[in-house]
Amino acid sequence: MADVPLVDKDEQSVPDWEEVARRYGRFIFTVAYRLTGNEADAQDLVQDVLLRVRRGLPTYRPGSMEGWLSRITTNAFLDDVRRRRRRPVEALPDEPDRVVPPSAGADEALEASALPEDVQAALIALPEDFRAAVVLSDVVGLGYAEIAESLGVPIGTVRSRIHRGRALLREALAP
Amino acid sequence: MNHLGDLVSALLDGELTAGERAAAEAHLAGCLDCRTEMARTAAMRSLVRGLPPIEPPFGFVEALVRADRRRRRPAAFAAAAAVAAVVGLAVTPRSDGVAPPVGRFVEAHATATPGGDPVTNLGPPSVLPVSFRP
Repeated sequence: MADVPLVDKDEQSVPDWEEVARRYGRFIFTVAYRLTGNEADAQDLVQDVLLRVRRGLPTYRPGSMEGWLSRITTNAFLDDVRRRRRRPVEALPDEPDRVVPPSAGADEALEASALPEDVQAALIALPEDFRAAVVLSDVVGLGYAEIAESLGVPIGTVRSRIHRGRALLREALAP
Repeated sequence: MNHLGDLVSALLDGELTAGERAAAEAHLAGCLDCRTEMARTAAMRSLVRGLPPIEPPFGFVEALVRADRRRRRPAAFAAAAAVAAVVGLAVTPRSDGVAPPVGRFVEAHATATPGGDPVTNLGPPSVLPVSFRP
């Protein structure tokens, strides 16, 4: 066998911008849609992300392209949220163990039958910081350390945001 | 030990250290509340993880790529357009990497065509473009 590369070439070389746009366009759009909840805002966000990718590519170090792109996408999203807001929204405190306790007679089957549109609507009802953590964890599939780095918060905060986020989703989907 | 709280999600996500995990599992064995919380959190987690990828609107990414090219190489673009005009050739858009969602078009056509044939899903001949007629 001749010259089989040990590492996939695509993971090794810095890709061209157009290649990133074409190859990861759907991925970025999916993350953007999950964060914004509608097509128009998702399109604006993707456009912003690709501009940031254009600026950032020269310093991109080969690794997880999806991790890098989802980090850019969540940050562009959160920047935009902060920019639009005249005054900071009353953030929910990031305290651990303040999760709503399970209510008696809760039925997992009701949640399990939720439609994607319902889940998306519940995501949009989450505070943005929680939404970003849940999307990075459950839509993108990043680990807590990578999420902490992406969002610039300690791992304990990621842990709490993901769990509280899931608890709030559950509440939103409860009848 | 207190109830698991946030540790429930971390346990589900495989994000606990071996020690934390052993302690959490020991607690779970004796705590119905935490087992319930765990089951409900797992169900929610699966719902979000099961969300499908979303297709951008057709041509959206290509339009961004073309806009970027125009912005970055306006002179080259103008020259190419002039050459095409002189030679009388249409500029053929690049099609590599584009996969049109044909299924969606067919479906959109079928649902948007009133009076379509229920068997073939085709509309009446009058709605077909002239060039498509045999």
